[in-house]
Amino acid sequence: MAVITINGPLGAGAVSVGQMVASSLEINFYDRLVFTQAARLVGSPVGALIAKEQRVDRFRDRLGRFLQTMLERSAMSGVSGEPYFGRGIENLPPETFMEMMGEGASANKPLDDKTFLEATEKVVNDIYEGGNAVIIGRGANAILEGRPNTFHIGLIAPLEVRVQTLMERENYTREEAENYGAELEQAHENYFRRFFNYNPNDPTHYHMMLNMGRMTPQKAADIIVNATGDIVAGSPAAATT
Amino acid sequence: MFPQVSLAQPSREDVERLMAWLDDEEVNTSWYGMGDDGRPLHAGYDPARVLGQDEREWERVFSDENRKVFAVYSSDGEHIGEAQLVIEWPLLEAQAFILVGRKDLWHHHYGTMAMVSLLDHAFDDMGLHRIWVDVPEYNRPALTMVEHIGFVMEGHFRKAHRRGDQWFDSYALGLLADEYGRRRSRLLESNP
Repeated sequence: MAVITINGPLGAGAVSVGQMVASSLEINFYDRLVFTQAARLVGSPVGALIAKEQRVDRFRDRLGRFLQTMLERSAMSGVSGEPYFGRGIENLPPETFMEMMGEGASANKPLDDKTFLEATEKVVNDIYEGGNAVIIGRGANAILEGRPNTFHIGLIAPLEVRVQTLMERENYTREEAENYGAELEQAHENYFRRFFNYNPNDPTHYHMMLNMGRMTPQKAADIIVNATGDIVAGSPAAATT
Repeated sequence: MFPQVSLAQPSREDVERLMAWLDDEEVNTSWYGMGDDGRPLHAGYDPARVLGQDEREWERVFSDENRKVFAVYSSDGEHIGEAQLVIEWPLLEAQAFILVGRKDLWHHHYGTMAMVSLLDHAFDDMGLHRIWVDVPEYNRPALTMVEHIGFVMEGHFRKAHRRGDQWFDSYALGLLADEYGRRRSRLLESNP
């Protein structure tokens, strides 16, 4: 009944390692499927959920959304002294401004945090109830922290390893890979702090942390498979060792 | 060089050819196998049945907004296979199906280019956000093909796909609109 979670920054190799572990233990593997299933529960495109995990919310992005909302509202209401700014930014109540800037709840937002979190937790808990699975990221380690028969793995990797992975996988130049990697790493940390009040780099959240700069994905998978039987009672590895 | 293919609305002749392809054991074994009635299974519709029905039934099958069926043609005008999208509009996503019925064209990248044409249509024309495929473990060429295009392994289920009296693993792979552009360029720049 082992459920193994593997968490790490983009490019550290969590997906490769997770697939190898699942294959070796002959158990199910869940990566982005966690969010696609959650998207199904809430009836939103999966991009709305991925954005929660991967977007760094910069001021210019929020400003862009604000201006877009202003234009849409202006167009819908037909109230317009100035064609591009509707009734005028100066006449908006402050709370409306904050909502449109993404600082609070708004009906315009495609998916609110509570709905997102409930759906993600539901999917992860359902996978846990089914047992025998590897789950990559998505806060699964936080959602299942302290639950019986779980084995939480954290991965770290030097920047060079992560950059190389992104260059090979996404056809990025080195500069693009460095920028994108840094941005996603920040988003990854923000995601954990925002939804789980949790520092994903804190080793006390994991049974084991592996440095992917010091081993191949296959070696990491072998270590996890061997340890699973010792950590998780009733796991497939425990039954065969 | 990758071959050129195009997608078209299926004709009755196309569906008749599809039936003939599916009667080939090698083709239907890599597809959905045989039904309990001893006839080859197909995705979404029964070719024999739809050919025996009137125009209204034909329209129902081939003008369905939630299931788009295309005949796949090579650049020299030969009908070579079928492509489908099963769409979930609220999620802006669709499951993709590709069948190359012409066995002499297998392993010559016609499936790859049929999938690329289908993805171009799904993302660029239909505005979909995610396309996914469900590949059984026995169809290794299909798995290699979609990974080569840039689909991401989203999940892997043990013994979830039944064929005959055997159960096989199933791989769910997906591709998002914003992932596709870069991966499409890389694919088409590569030497097949």
